[in-house]
Amino acid sequence: MNTPEPVSLRLTFFQRRAWLVGVAGLLVGAMGLVLNPAQFFRSYLFAYLFWLSIAVGCAAIVMIYHLVGGAWGFVIRRILEAATRTLPVLAVLFIPLLFGLSFLYVWARPEAVAADPLLQHKSVYLNVPFFLLRAVLYFAVWIGIAHFLHKWSLAQDRTGDPTLARRLETLSGPGLVLYGGAVTFAAVDWAMSLDPHWFSTIYGILWIVGQVLTALAFAILVLRLLARQEPFVQVLTPSHFHDLGNLLLAFVMLWAYVSFAQFLLMWSGNLTEEIPWYIRRLHGGWQEVGIVLITYHFALPFVLLLIRRVKQSPLVLAALAAGVLVMRLIDVYWFIAPEFHPTVGGALHLSDALLLVGIGGVWVGRFVGQLQKLPMLPLRDPQEEAVVARPETA
Amino acid sequence: MAYEGQERATGIATVPPVVGPGYTPRSVNEKISAIVLTHPTSRGWLVGFGISFLLLLLLLYSVVYLFAVGLGIWGINQPVGWGFDIINFVWWIGIGHAGTLISAILLLLRQEWRTSINRFAEAMTLFAVACAGIFPLIHLGRPWFFYWLLPYPNVMGMWPQFRSPLVWDVFAVSTYATVSLLFWYVGLIPDLAALRDRSRSRVGRVLYGMLAMGWRGSARHWARYQTAYLLLAGLATPLVVSVHTVVSFDFAVGIIPGWHATIFPPYFVAGAIFAGFAMVLLIAIPLRKFYQLEDFITLRHLDNMAKVLLATGLVVAYGYMMETFMAWYSGSPYEHYAVITNRMTGPYAPLYWGLILCNVVTPQLLWSRRARVNVPLLFGVALVVSVGMWLERFMIIVMSLHRDFLPSAWGMYYPTVWDYTTYIGTIGLFLSLLFLFVRFLPMISIFEMQELVAEEEHGAPRRAATETAPAAEAVRVSG
Amino acid sequence: MARIYGLLAEFETPAELLAAAQRARDAGYRHMDAYTPFPVEGLAEAIGFRRTWLPVIVLVGGIVGCVSGYLLQYWTSVVDYPLNIGGRPLHSWPAFVVVTFELTILFAALAAVLGMLALNGLPMPYHPVFNVPRFAFATRDRFFLCLEATDPQFDREETRRFLERSQPRQVSEVEY
Repeated sequence: MNTPEPVSLRLTFFQRRAWLVGVAGLLVGAMGLVLNPAQFFRSYLFAYLFWLSIAVGCAAIVMIYHLVGGAWGFVIRRILEAATRTLPVLAVLFIPLLFGLSFLYVWARPEAVAADPLLQHKSVYLNVPFFLLRAVLYFAVWIGIAHFLHKWSLAQDRTGDPTLARRLETLSGPGLVLYGGAVTFAAVDWAMSLDPHWFSTIYGILWIVGQVLTALAFAILVLRLLARQEPFVQVLTPSHFHDLGNLLLAFVMLWAYVSFAQFLLMWSGNLTEEIPWYIRRLHGGWQEVGIVLITYHFALPFVLLLIRRVKQSPLVLAALAAGVLVMRLIDVYWFIAPEFHPTVGGALHLSDALLLVGIGGVWVGRFVGQLQKLPMLPLRDPQEEAVVARPETA
Repeated sequence: MAYEGQERATGIATVPPVVGPGYTPRSVNEKISAIVLTHPTSRGWLVGFGISFLLLLLLLYSVVYLFAVGLGIWGINQPVGWGFDIINFVWWIGIGHAGTLISAILLLLRQEWRTSINRFAEAMTLFAVACAGIFPLIHLGRPWFFYWLLPYPNVMGMWPQFRSPLVWDVFAVSTYATVSLLFWYVGLIPDLAALRDRSRSRVGRVLYGMLAMGWRGSARHWARYQTAYLLLAGLATPLVVSVHTVVSFDFAVGIIPGWHATIFPPYFVAGAIFAGFAMVLLIAIPLRKFYQLEDFITLRHLDNMAKVLLATGLVVAYGYMMETFMAWYSGSPYEHYAVITNRMTGPYAPLYWGLILCNVVTPQLLWSRRARVNVPLLFGVALVVSVGMWLERFMIIVMSLHRDFLPSAWGMYYPTVWDYTTYIGTIGLFLSLLFLFVRFLPMISIFEMQELVAEEEHGAPRRAATETAPAAEAVRVSG
Repeated sequence: MARIYGLLAEFETPAELLAAAQRARDAGYRHMDAYTPFPVEGLAEAIGFRRTWLPVIVLVGGIVGCVSGYLLQYWTSVVDYPLNIGGRPLHSWPAFVVVTFELTILFAALAAVLGMLALNGLPMPYHPVFNVPRFAFATRDRFFLCLEATDPQFDREETRRFLERSQPRQVSEVEY
């Protein structure tokens, strides 16, 4: 074993930088609160939902790993767990949004509700107190899951008690059910209700798939960045990246599938309740964003990930994962921003970038800090033998 | 139960083997091929096949009568123009999905336990698709013009209307049938050669020999064979998802409340896998008992299949939940009436609540590990799920159609005796084909089981299911 | 003596066959084949099999299916038989995705199966190795290595002695 100090020193350095950049971004971005509060909250919502999706998606992947196992999950497990432990910080970062509800949501403006019978019908669900209560519930579910995933993971490292693996598995089944419910309704509350007239039954699945894809791309990127450090350098083989690449391919395809399903059904039905959502996103330059999504969120990664050499090259795969992360960002923007701006040109705002960097800096700082708290590979995961021994002995 | 005891002793989820102890490649070959070649035809088989064949004759009778008299013999009419025919079509095609899932997706995921169930699951797929394919054809007013659905230059100068999901369905189902047949046959080739070489009768040698196409197990052939098999699995995986997606488009592309829901594609696919795994269990449990295959289809297989059943059942329940929530949330009176009021309190409400009991409540038993390895209970749950999935299609099709937008156009759907005989008849077709299959073809893949056993016996490295061979060189990550 | 196809050595385990195949290749034999009841890892490489063009064939099949599927729909719906269906555009690309996808899969799958059979030279009802009675066990639990007479290094006696050194269960001559 080489001395691990330099790695953690470098990480600490990076962590401090990230915090600094994040706080600076948030402070400068906060000036927008005075200059253009409506735009501030719009940008904040977009940036927040992007970073949240990594943390929440990571929780889902950890639970899937506990249920099905596999070498791919063993090597990224600690990265994922560290990301889930940022959820308390994200819960705090959610609070600013509460002051901008009436800027963001039509249903939070009493005068708008009074003029709209449909909003009156929905006010049983779409009202501020219930909205807050649900948000508390979502965070309780996510943080609760992250807590136990962390606690038992830590205990597993210390004691290696075999019942812990069983307990993690037992948590993960119901955990995924609760996670799916929470993400679905969070998506309805925070994003879908931006247009309170519009509805789509697949909307929750769009967000679930998007989040898992974001988290997976993020984990691949981090794994590559750490690949030359201890202990990864001892364990990683191209086959780990190959498996992760296949998973990325599966989720890229799944994203395309669910996105196309919604589009085809609404395009074909052409109903007045549904089609406005796409009309907004297919005019004023947003249609070009849509074409960018089809091309670079689906077609290009799909074709590249069919090639074995791409999946087995950590560098190429990580570059591709970074591309997918950028595309996820654009996809979230395409979901949120057209609700406020009819054209792309009118939508782009400096505060988008500032808050993206601000929230991102704080989040990444927190993530790197959490990453160093536990050994980067699980010490006594029962999967370890099957997973690590294989490439060594073969 | 050894499985349970083992687990309690160690306190953790130990993984029982996918094959019972003491098998060699030779004994695997002998045990599986003996069922086809040397066992005398059992009385149970004869009785079972006889009953199934009688039901098949019932199907023939019903279809001939239908062609002679017309669609009026069925219960369909305004406003319910799609009845048992389309319910059964969706039900059967859904059942087919598990076979492809087991053979393709589990192969790609390197789930070795699939080996002993993939062959008969694929056969089940083919037979279910055959049953499914009958319904859309015979429910055409003039079934003898079915070929008008295909794009071919004709004297009328017309082409199919490619914006219609019904035309997509023709392509999806026929592609699915073709690819499933290819996949199944390619998997069978080495086993047919094994039967050719073991058969003692001349007829057997000639027939199996022709089907085996001269397979001789050359190493070069095996290399290309495995590549082809993996590529087929990679192609079949998105295909199987697309097929039930297209079936869901048959409804969701229309704008009828209760049909037009964006969640239909994933929800239909999950429902298909749910129903399919239930059917695989319904077939696997008796097969392992009557042919003493407990060493090949172990409790681990049943446990895994029960887990898939539970997981897909939860996705289906999510679909019901989202449909109901959005029907209220939408604020659309039509959505609300079709999805909530009429389903839950309308004339067909008992069927709706029955469906919830079958598809949502019952599978929750499978959270318990003990329930998953309790064979009779598992059989019961699978049966209930099969009924539930039929009811689901009844709910979607009939309950959405029988209340039109105007109350003056409302009506009820009453199936006739011919609806029932046709449905039961297709079960006869399905079972007849299945009985013939277990009698004349190896119901478990011989060469794949041998490969599995040889690996455990000699510790010989075996080609991984996905192409990760270069990884074995333990190449260090160099960036 | 009549011309023969080659010499067939019979082994009891995949490992023995693999070792014998490697030895034969090291000794300079090139025209050979191995026969096993199930795929054995590394065996194809040991007898000199490099790679197969099958993935390329499948890719071409898929591309042909994809392009022809889309063109079929475009030509019939826009050019040859334009018909207004519910006000949708003649070139309704979202609706054309489904059939294009299905035909891509269909053509690729057919290419995979037919390509595999063609490259393997199947169906081939007659092959000299079937003349060896013991060869029936090649689909059960025996593993065979055949050194073929077309190999320049092949010599009936010399090659037989060479094979005996790998201690096979038996060595038989494969007649035409």
